[in-house]
This record gives sequence, structure tokens and C-alpha cells, in this order.
Amino acid sequence: MTRTTVQQSVKGEKSVRPPWRVAAEQTRLDTPGLAWLAGRQAAARARMMQSGLPEPGEEDWRYTSLAGYTQRWNEYLSAPAQAVVPKAPDPSRPRPPDAGPGITVNIVDGVLRSPPIGIAPGLTIQSLRQLTPGLRARAESLLQKADKTTPDKLVDLNTALLGDAILIATDPGSCPPEPIHVRLQSETARALGQPRLLIDVAANSRLTVILEHTGVRGALVNAVNQICLGRGSQLNLMRVQTLPDDGMLLETTELELGESASVTVTSVDLGGQLCRQALTVLLAGTGADATVNGVFLADGQRHIDNHTRLVHQAPATTSREFFRGIADGHGRGVFNGKIVVLPGAAGSNANLTNRNLLLCPTAEIDTKPELEIYVDDVRCSHGATTGQLDANALFYLRSRGLDPAVARQVLTSAFLREGLSGIAIPELRLRLETQLQARLGGEPVATQPGAAA
Amino acid sequence: MTGLRVAVGGKEILTGLDLCVRAGEVHAIMGPNGSGKSTLAHVLAGRDGYEVTAGSALYRGQDLLAMPPEERARAGVFLGFQYPIEIPGVSNAYLLRSALNARRSARGDGQIDAVGFLRLVKEKARLMQMDESFLQRGVNEGFSGGEKKRNEVFQMAVLEPLLAILDETDSGLDIDALKVVANGVNSLRHAERAFVLITHYQRLLDYIRPDYVHVLAGGRIVRTGDRTLALDLEAGGYDQFVPAAIA
Repeated sequence: MTRTTVQQSVKGEKSVRPPWRVAAEQTRLDTPGLAWLAGRQAAARARMMQSGLPEPGEEDWRYTSLAGYTQRWNEYLSAPAQAVVPKAPDPSRPRPPDAGPGITVNIVDGVLRSPPIGIAPGLTIQSLRQLTPGLRARAESLLQKADKTTPDKLVDLNTALLGDAILIATDPGSCPPEPIHVRLQSETARALGQPRLLIDVAANSRLTVILEHTGVRGALVNAVNQICLGRGSQLNLMRVQTLPDDGMLLETTELELGESASVTVTSVDLGGQLCRQALTVLLAGTGADATVNGVFLADGQRHIDNHTRLVHQAPATTSREFFRGIADGHGRGVFNGKIVVLPGAAGSNANLTNRNLLLCPTAEIDTKPELEIYVDDVRCSHGATTGQLDANALFYLRSRGLDPAVARQVLTSAFLREGLSGIAIPELRLRLETQLQARLGGEPVATQPGAAA
Repeated sequence: MTGLRVAVGGKEILTGLDLCVRAGEVHAIMGPNGSGKSTLAHVLAGRDGYEVTAGSALYRGQDLLAMPPEERARAGVFLGFQYPIEIPGVSNAYLLRSALNARRSARGDGQIDAVGFLRLVKEKARLMQMDESFLQRGVNEGFSGGEKKRNEVFQMAVLEPLLAILDETDSGLDIDALKVVANGVNSLRHAERAFVLITHYQRLLDYIRPDYVHVLAGGRIVRTGDRTLALDLEAGGYDQFVPAAIA
């Protein structure tokens, strides 16, 4: 009932021009340093004015409605534009001790906070507002990838109101030794966060990136990441979302892989009130390979939606995807995993698995794996399960003397922790395991050497 | 156990089983497929889905069947599973330490410290010829059939139960692994400890000498003897002991 009422109110507002539209129209597209993007921004804004925000009637938004957040959108989008000036390094914000090794890139309210220190040779991290001329072509070619026949509403919104974008680029054949830890934070309360990240992994280079979303209470973030992998390059991307309980994140990530490029994505959702990730991986070059793993914990009132789309465009491309989620309390998890194998992708191999645990009757999981195959000579498999804890495993632990409640908790956290095994940075994995453990209760049961003994 | 009758899904599997196991004894229970061997093991360990319709089982004076599985374990009952479960994400070390501490606190002993625990598991791992690295791996995760069985006996060695029920621990083992498992069991033989070995084949009993051999058929014990009975079984099969009415 509630939902119907809210939907109607959204439709009603359309005719009276919601405040955010007015504000968007009045936004001046003259951000210093981004004049070269004004045309692109104007086009995106024109489309956005037509299309508005995603609505519950759209198939991709069937289980995730923004309708209940209309007021927040209106207020945040109408907020006067912040003075988005890169600040000097803030000594009161030291590198977090648990970040592990690497280069930290602080992006606050969409703006590169300070020039990252300790950039390795072959690696560039720059704000688009201060882009060295030689890099503009690389940035533009990434931005162009969003120009599609069917534009994405959230990407258009991000482009139209862009305050800054950050380009991370490698030189061909380079291999920066340390991971890049991109911390996307929202600091200004009651304003829309619009981070835009461009990652260009040049041919035969290797890169490790941690993308971490944090924020203030009541955060509302519309993030867009565009990532391109050149021939023979490798990227390990770890995406971690730990927003406050009332935070809202909409994130659109698109990866395009060239010939023999290889990517590993690990996505972790632990926070937020409503989080929706749309992750697209285009296997565009022959022999490209993608591994996508995901973990989400939809407890409390949390709503976590992961829409993934792996598109095999070129021959002999391979992908494997494993998403696992837990819903508890009044939480709701949504998973939609689509594998598309296009006519040009003969000899491809794709595997998709989604496993979910429902810990109580008030929680909900909606899962939908989809295969769209337009060519013979491919091997694809998919499966999704949603259920309770394995009764055999429970009995096994109890038969060794473990309390039933402890046994349940141990199995639950083990289930999620398995999904973190792809996180190759021990400090980060330990931090996430600790957070998971705290949320699920109980003591650590890590399988890491030394942790248990 | 006296007159124990157990049904699964409405079908009676144990049909009045009598068995008395005293401390220090080793009993072998043999029988054809479907005779109720595994049902007996599961009922004694307290698994769900088994309905006790009649009879009783006393363990050290207590009503065993009234105790939940974890209490039985803490009181010293150990089941070696026929098909040990794989639990990725929970390390063998964690499981063992939790199990050991549960057992110790039931006895009124304090928690074992890290050094003492490590010393104990290293000693037992050596006994079972297992590489210590397995301790940090997930419980039975990626173990071969033989490794899983060895891990069951290893757990038993660490937990030092008073009543160990080994459900077809010998099946699926090659001869070398069988010797390791038998050696593990033999090293634990003790005046305070009893074993119930459930097995399909006589082979195990070449290495572990039982005090008694029972033939289980049609849900009850139809014959009891010493270890020569196992040899008779090997020679003549089960048919000779199965009453016509049941067969």
C-alpha cells in the first residue's frame, strides 16, 4: 500500500516540475577546468530533463524503488552548489592504519582532495579539472563510452552535474607495485555526491585498485566508474561499501576489456540504507577474462541490490561470477545476474552462481540469474539458491560440542567470509572480516594462518 | 541400549536393539547394507529426523536420548562420520579448539591456552601423519575421502572421548591410510574409553582387535561373538546369520 501511494506522488510531481529539475536547469556548466566538457554535460542534462530518475515501472528497478526518497533527492539536488575547490592535504586526516600498503587517493564530495603522494612511475592520478593535455584524449575516450543509444539515466545525471572527475591511468607495460586505495567520501551533509572515476589500464600493464565508499549520515551518492582495460592488461578491483545506516548509494560501473585482458572484481556491501550497484563487464577483445565475486549483508532495514551484466562480445572470452548474500531482520537483498553471449563470441565460457542465506522470515531475497545466448559453441551455466543454513553442517558442529547458536553464527560468517577470499590485501580482508564478525556476533573464526591458534 | 526401536520417516529401521558397551571395550558392529548400522550411529549422536518409538539408551547412568547433540559431545560421546562434512570458511583449528573447550568446560576444566592447544594438535597430527598446514584450512575443505576419515580420527584423538562411535571410518581407505587410522584408534585404547566400530568389512578388524563382534540385521543384533565371528562373516557372507523372516 505504501509503495503505491509513493509511486503516485512521484508521478504527480512530474507534472509540477520537481524542485530538483529546476535546480538542475539552473546549474551553470562552467566549472573551472571543465569547459571542454560543457557540450557533453549540456547534452546529458537535456536527456536527463526528459527522462528523470529511474522509476519503479522499469524492469531493472522492479525490486528497488527510489520513490521513498523523493524528498531527499529534491532537497539534496536543490542545494546550492558547493565550492568544489581541491584542498591542501589535511594533516588531521592521516592514512588509516588499517589501509594496508599503497597509495591513498581521497575523493571528497566528488573532488580530488589532495594530490596523491608517492605515485609510482608509469602511473597517473589526476583531476579532470587539471588534466595534462596529453591525457585528455584518454579521458575523453573513456567518457565517450557512456554515449549510447539507450542512455543511462544515472550516468546522465552524473555527467550533467559533474563537479570533477578523476582519471587513473597506467603507461603501457607498467606495473605499479602497490595498490591504489581510492576513498570516496561524502563530507558535506545534505548534498548529492557525484563522484566520477575513470580508470584506464593501458596495454600489458597491471593495476590493483580498492574503491571504498564511506560517507556522512544521510549521504546520497550517485557514483559512476568507467574502466577500460587495454590488450593483455590486468586489473584487480576491490569495491567496498560501508556507508552509514541511512546512506544511499547508486553506483554504475562499466568495464571494457580488450584482447586477453583480465579483471577480477570483488564487491562488498556492508552498509547503507539503500545501495544499488549496476556493474557491466564488456568482454570486447578475444580471450578477455573476468572474475566477479560479490558479498552483501542486508540486515536491519538495509536494501542492497546488485545488478550485474557480463557481456561476451568477442570469441573465446571467459567469465565466472559468484555472488553471495545474507538477508536478516527486515533487510532485503536483490541480485540480478545477466550473462549475454553475442553472435561474435563463439567458444566462450561463462559461469554464474548466486547463493543466499535467509536468516529470518521477515527478510527477503529476490534473485534472478539470466542467460541470453545468441551463438552455438559456448558453455554457460548458472544457478541461484536461497535457503537456510546447511542442516548437515549444523549437526556436524553440534556433534563436536558447539552450541547451536554458536554453530549457526559460525556457519553464517563463514559463508560470507568465503566471498572475501579474493581480497588479496590482508589488512583490508582482516578489517572486513572483523566488521562482518561484529555485525553477525561472535568471535573471529578466520581461516588465516595464526588467527585461530 | 535396551529394546531400541527407531523409525525414519515412519519406517522402522531399528527393531528392538539390545547392546551393552562397557568402558575399555571395543565392539564391532557388522551388517549388510540397510541393516540399520548408520541409523544406530546417528541416533546415538542425536541427529534430527530419527524417531525413537521404544526402548532406551543409557550413557553413564544418564538418558542419552534426552540430551541434545552438543551435550552428548561434551559428555564424551564422539561420532566419526561416515561422510564428514566440508565447511569452507571455518578452520579445522577453530573447530577443534571450540570442541575441546566445550568438552573441557563440561568437565569443569578451564579453557586451553594457545600454547597448550598447539602442542596437543601437533602431537596428534603427527600420530595421524597429517601435515599441520591442514589446521588452517577449512574443515574438510578439499580433503580427499581418505583425508576426511583421517581427520575424523584426528579429531577424536584430540577430544579424547569416553565413547567413540566410528561409522564406516574404514570405507574408502587404501591400505596405508587404513593402517594409520587403525593405529590412531589403537593408541587411544584405554580402560576408561569404549569404541563402537561400525563396519562393512572384516578388513579393519585385522588391525583393530575387537573384544566383541555383533551382526546387525533387520534392525537388531542377531549374533554376537568374538573376533572369529568376523572371519566367519568374511568367509560365508551375511546370509548365514540373517533370519529367513528378515531376509
